[in-house]
Amino acid sequence: MKIDAEKCIGCGTCIPYCNVEAISMNEDDEVAVIDPDVCVECWVCYNNRVCPKDAIEPTPLDTHDKIFKHVLSDPTVTSKGTGIPGRGTEEAKTNCVTGRYGRDIYGICVDMGRPGVGCTMRDVEKVAMALAPTGFRFVGPEENPIATLMTDFKTGKFRDDVLDLHVLSIIIEGSVKRSDVKPVLEALVRVSKEIDTVFSLGIVSMKIDDDEQLMKTLDECAIPRPTRGKVNVGLGRPLFTG
Amino acid sequence: MTHSLHRSGMHQDTDYVFLLYHVKGINDQNVVERTRKAIDLAENAGAVNWGDVKTGPVVSVPSEEIKAKLTPASRIRGAFTSRQQVVRYLKSMKEADLGLCLVIAGPLDEVFSACHETGLEPHTNNYALGIFGKTERLADEDTRAITTMCGHHMVPDGVVVKMQERVNKGKISPEKASLKLAALCPCGIFNQKRAEHLLREKKEHS
Repeated sequence: MKIDAEKCIGCGTCIPYCNVEAISMNEDDEVAVIDPDVCVECWVCYNNRVCPKDAIEPTPLDTHDKIFKHVLSDPTVTSKGTGIPGRGTEEAKTNCVTGRYGRDIYGICVDMGRPGVGCTMRDVEKVAMALAPTGFRFVGPEENPIATLMTDFKTGKFRDDVLDLHVLSIIIEGSVKRSDVKPVLEALVRVSKEIDTVFSLGIVSMKIDDDEQLMKTLDECAIPRPTRGKVNVGLGRPLFTG
Repeated sequence: MTHSLHRSGMHQDTDYVFLLYHVKGINDQNVVERTRKAIDLAENAGAVNWGDVKTGPVVSVPSEEIKAKLTPASRIRGAFTSRQQVVRYLKSMKEADLGLCLVIAGPLDEVFSACHETGLEPHTNNYALGIFGKTERLADEDTRAITTMCGHHMVPDGVVVKMQERVNKGKISPEKASLKLAALCPCGIFNQKRAEHLLREKKEHS
């Protein structure tokens, strides 16, 4: 994204519309400018036509990095890999018909950079590498765009050339055997003290009991028991197109 | 996406999200027609907002236009303001037996009791376990109560702060301000009624 200096009147209207403070006034305080390294290509400023002079213009999405940031940050865009709009994961939403998270496993969703802080892939890698030795299994590229950048699923390592990429948010999604969930949660608590951003954590559980064992594990990890969540109410059923 | 999972702040008992899903090759038969029916039922149950991320939210795009533009790739989400509306929706969706996957996000006690009242047994839960890491980088709680109603964060912190300032100065009503904020969220899961309440409440305490 860029701002056409010829059109910009320096009113500053666009500044609060930037999620990551990539827009600021230039040194002379005359026109607004966008820092391309900080910009996450969410297009909030552009999609909502906030500039009275239409000075905000998208730059061509001509590099992998720009495309990746845009797909992750603008939910109106569909990821080619997953076919799902936005950052794209299915977690609990369709579990009633897919059974992807079955009786013996939990799904784990680590929502990096959310809410509203943003993150670099370097921090995403830190968390992924903390998870890798715990029995955590990352979902593949057909289910989550993040996996396309991972070079080693066993270690959680990402491509070196993407580590400085700045994104609005990105989900590390995977699963763990129910019996192994504690080391995963402990690793997440530990690594949360080593990152320069935040993450929101979700745990997906197919309902086979009252989840009391999971709640006790949360207690042991000093993670407060959840008061809100998403509930798949189990109304899906197979209806084939053939 | 977990964009309806991590809402925070006051008055969450007036804030429930519904999400409709299907899977290609499993429950996608006549999916557009069935989704349209599911939307009608949500409207009848009292949904205050809903939308298709590709077309926009009903606070800015006419309902009929969104329905007309539905495709098999559409993902429909929306917001209810009470547990009673959720119960009404669950009852009607159960009766209609459309075969779509339906997810309700909100306070767990309320959602579980709504399921129980409707005779539905939750299949899978995604529990929100909170925010970890450098939490000092987060916006203040009042701002987050509003911004997290668009989990994709298409409602930036700065816009909420500006809007609250305008509300406090009497330059815009809480109702109009909340609708402007809701229009920024393309999915239609932003609950403008709760936002209105939060903006008004903060003005009264300012």
